[in-house]
This record gives sequence, structure tokens and C-alpha cells, in this order.
Amino acid sequence: MWGQVKQALYQSTTRFVTRLATLVPGFIALLVALLISFLLAWIVWMIMRRLLSSIRFDERVSRWGLSSLAEWSPQNSPTLLVSGTIACAIVVAGFLIGIAAFNSDMTSSLVRSIFAYVPNVVGAIIILTIGAVVARYVARSVLIGAVNLNLGYAHLLSVGTRWLVMVVTVAMALVHLRIAAGIVELAFGILFGGIVFALALAVGLGSKELVTKSLERDAKRTPGDTIEEPLRHL
Amino acid sequence: MEVDSAPQQAVQEIGQINNADLVVGIVADLSHEDVAEVCAALRTLPGSPRIVVLQNRLASDATSTGSDAPAQDSISLIPWALQNQSSPTTSVESMLAAYQSILTIGKRLEVRGCCVIASKLEQAPPKWVCRLAEPLLEASCDFVTPGYARRKFEGLLNSSIISPLTRSLYGLRIQNPMGPDLGISQRLYQKLLDGEQNDKTGGNGMHLLASLVPLVLCGNLQASQAYLGARSYPPSDWTTVSSLLSEILGPIFLAMERNAACWQRMRTSSPVKILGRPTSAPQTTGTVEIDRLVNSFQLGIRDLQEIWGLVLPPASLLELRRLARLPTGQFHIPDELWVRIIYDFALAHRLRTINRDHLLRSLTPLYLGWVASYARELEVAEENAIEQRLERLSLAYETGKPYLVSRWRWPDRFNP
Repeated sequence: MWGQVKQALYQSTTRFVTRLATLVPGFIALLVALLISFLLAWIVWMIMRRLLSSIRFDERVSRWGLSSLAEWSPQNSPTLLVSGTIACAIVVAGFLIGIAAFNSDMTSSLVRSIFAYVPNVVGAIIILTIGAVVARYVARSVLIGAVNLNLGYAHLLSVGTRWLVMVVTVAMALVHLRIAAGIVELAFGILFGGIVFALALAVGLGSKELVTKSLERDAKRTPGDTIEEPLRHL
Repeated sequence: MEVDSAPQQAVQEIGQINNADLVVGIVADLSHEDVAEVCAALRTLPGSPRIVVLQNRLASDATSTGSDAPAQDSISLIPWALQNQSSPTTSVESMLAAYQSILTIGKRLEVRGCCVIASKLEQAPPKWVCRLAEPLLEASCDFVTPGYARRKFEGLLNSSIISPLTRSLYGLRIQNPMGPDLGISQRLYQKLLDGEQNDKTGGNGMHLLASLVPLVLCGNLQASQAYLGARSYPPSDWTTVSSLLSEILGPIFLAMERNAACWQRMRTSSPVKILGRPTSAPQTTGTVEIDRLVNSFQLGIRDLQEIWGLVLPPASLLELRRLARLPTGQFHIPDELWVRIIYDFALAHRLRTINRDHLLRSLTPLYLGWVASYARELEVAEENAIEQRLERLSLAYETGKPYLVSRWRWPDRFNP
């Protein structure tokens, strides 16, 4: 009886140690992969930082109308953000390569699914970037146009327009990432409608006085009383 | 080119003409009597030169020939749809397309000069068109610009920016560097059209007009100014001021960029040859709504500071903020500040600090602020005060030129 127990214990220990021993190369491979990826990421980070600094990337980003990118960046520097993102991507890739070294079905399918998801993430990032550029451009166009038309609520219109574009962009990015598509659609509808309604209310209430003044001026003006402005620009 | 889009009959008529000495393009909507008067004046030119007069008509009207001149006449009057009717363009753009048509026809006929009549004149001196044409035929001048009788509130964009900036950059004291009535010699139009062909960016008519003065200066050509009387300006729509600024200043700033090496060498300005005498014209009546103009400026200060902050140095922004707090009665933009603003916008245009159309349109409140300041100053001024006021502004542009040169050369290092 005791012999059987001893044998069972021995067998289980052997099995455990054998299983553990089979995992050790995988762990070592993971560690090596992480080490190499950290080293590679550091080198790439340094190169990217220098390269982007030499081409004055921060200033260029600001000129391209992506100043909001600076707001999200560490130390308000898009250079750090871009080089850091690339470095992180290299570390994540190293980690995934290390995980794959375990050669088990589970880790392989995990890696496969993660890699399959990468295009969605890249697509979402591209959508967000383009959306931010378009939002900035449209907001500026609206702001300048409204100021040149002497509209007192130009800033409000501009901010509202920017938010409208950004809401559409974020919703598109989330749908692209396949994150709670139903909720996103519903939330998008509510937010978009809400912003349009708020803008309509704000502009309507804000211009009430303007319309009243304009109507009063028109009412006071007698027919044939049109005063031609003498200014000639060109 | 618009030559191909012209009515077939007009193309045939031009094809039958082997050579000519002068092409006169009438872009302005002149009556038959006015056109006849122009032709009569052209017949008095010495040496009886062969002249082709292109009369602007709509495409529908242009099928009927307007050549009712005698067979032996030295003038061929050809109705021509100078403005491109096929594409929907603004009035400025379509008029500028006409300039290109006239110059291209001039080049095809190898004429000694091309004249463009683009305005209706009031109290014009007799044979005024000869003042534009004669120097070209005599080959004594390559570029004849118009001088109009000054009125306080007319041609404000020209008075505030185009003319003094041209004078400061290229050293030519010209009242209206971009016409619209112009005389252009064979040498100048050939350089101009060759430059347009080589321009891979695809310039429009405004680029062509903005290139005239730089070509004259950099090509060592001769310019003159012919006094033509008072010009009848089209009424302005205040809602389109920003489009005007964008359409007009964009090509001027581009020409600045292309000819930087040339204008940076120019230190002082000199007067050009004057043809005729300046005349006076009755001042227009009507009240300028200075309050509205100042309101536009204040609105710009409130909402556009984020954009101006990318273009203007902190000192200018600070001064603008101070001005915005002043009551309308005391509102005044100093010439030095205005000049620095224009130079900074030219630099931002070159550096593409922000989208170029946004940049130029965002200048509108500042321009209206300058107009308010100018209108307040000259509201009760005498006629001779206009010339003195604009001379002061031109001098401020010249005095501020070292600032532009410094910022142009070292945009990052020199930022006061």
C-alpha cells in the first residue's frame, strides 16, 4: 500500500518536473525575446527621437493642424509619443514571439488572434488621425468664416463642429475595433443628435437679439432710404 | 487656353490677320459709343499702327461680327468672349482669364504690345487709351500702369497692401501695380507667358498679374504710370472681403516667395516715368460704418487669437489686444503695426504655418480694423490729405522692410 502511494507520488513528481522542464526553454525563450525586444526598442526609440527631432517633427505636427496630438503626448512632445509608441510595439511583438515559443495550442491561438486584431487597431489609429486633421480643418474654416460674417457665436459654432466630426470619428474607430458596436451606434446617435440640438438651441437663442435688432432697423428704414457704403476694396 | 474656347468666327477673323502692332482687349462692359471713342483715339496713334481690338461680348452675342469699320481701316474690331463662360468662376477669376487670352493672342500675332481696358472711367482725359499704348509702340516702356484720381475710400485693398508692399519690395512707386488697365510690351508678355508655361504649379490669371512688377524689376525693364482720370469702382460686398483677400494676396505672396533673391537686394524706391497729369475727382458721399468695422476687428481679437498666435509675434498680439479695448472714437492701428502684420502674414504664407487659405482669410478682421482706422482718420480730411496719408503708409512699409528681410532669412532666430 505504502509502496503504491510512494510510486504514485514519485510518478506525479516526475510528471510535474518533466512538464516544468519542458516549459523552461519556453520561459528562457520568452525572457530572451523580451530582452532582445527591449534592446531593439531602446535603439529604435533613440534613433526615432533623434530623427524626428532633426526634422522638427513637433513643429511640423503643429503646422499640420495636429496640435491635439501634442496635448496627449508625454511632455507635450509628439516626438516622444511616436518614438515611444514604436518602442512599445516592438516590446509587445517580442512578448508575443516569446509566448509563441511555448508552442502550445493555446498560446499560438492567442498570438494568432492578437495579430489578426492588429490591422483593426492600425485602421482605428488611421481613422482617428484623419478625423483629428479633418476636425481641425473644418473647425478653423467654420471659425474664420463665422468671424468674417460677424457672427458673435463663431467660437461656439467652431467648437460644436469640431466635436461633431470627432464624435463621428471616434464612433467609426470603435466600430472598426468591433467594440460594443450596438452601444456605440446608440451612443453615437444620442451624442450626435445632442450636439446638433445644443448647437441649434445656442445659435437660435444667441441670435434672437440680432434678429430683433435687424428687424427693428429694417422697420425704421423708409423705402428709398438705402445708404450705400462708400467703401470700395478692389 | 481660352483661344480654343472662343467663337469659331472670331478665331477665323484672328487667323486671317497676319501681323499687327498692338492688341487692345476691352474687358470692361463699355457701350458702343465708348468703344467707338477708344477706336477713334487709337487711330490717332503716330505711324498708323495695325491694331486688333478685342471687344468683350458674351458668347451668345459674339457670333455676330462687330467689325463695322471701313475695309482699309488700321483697326480690326473683333467681338470676343474674353471671359471664360464654360466654367463657373468668380468675377475676379473670369476677368483674369481674359488677361491671359489677350496676352496669348498678342503673342500669336507677335504684336509690339498689349493693352487691357478693364475699367469704366469717369472724366477721363481725351485719348487716354493712347497713354497706355503709345509707350509700348515707341518701345520706350515695357509696363504701363494706370494712375487714377484718388478718392478716399476707393481701392482700399490696393492702397493698404498691394501698392505700398510693391513699392517696398520692388522699389517701384506705382499707384496700381495690378491695373486693372494695363499696357504690356512684347518683351514683358513673352517673359510672362514663358514663365507661366514653365510654372509647374499651374498659375491662374492672378498669378500672372502678380508676376508683372517682379518681372519688370528683375528683368531690368522699364515701367511707367499713365494718369487716366477717375475709375468707376464696382460696389463692394462686405461678406466677400475675405475671398478677395485670399484671391489677391495669395498670388502676391507667392510672387514674393519666387522673387525673394531679387527683392531682398532692393533697398530704396524710386518714382517711375509719369505720363499725363494727376486729376482730381469729386469725393463720394456716404457714411462709413466705422462701428461695424471696429466690431469685426474686436470679434477677430476675441475668436481668432489662436490662429493669429501662430502667425504674429507676441509683441504684435499684445498691441492688438490693447487696441481692441479702445473705444471706437480712439481706435487707430499704427502704420508700423499694420506693416509688421502684413510682413508676418507673408512670412507665414511662405512657411505654410497654417493652411494658406485659412491664413489669408483670417487677415480679414485685421484689414477691416485698418480700414476703420483709416476711415476715421480721413473722414473729414481734405483731398490732398489722402495722398499724404498713403505716402506715410508707403514709407512705413519701406522702413519696416529690414524687419521682413530678417524674419524671411531667419524665421526662427528673429522673432521679436
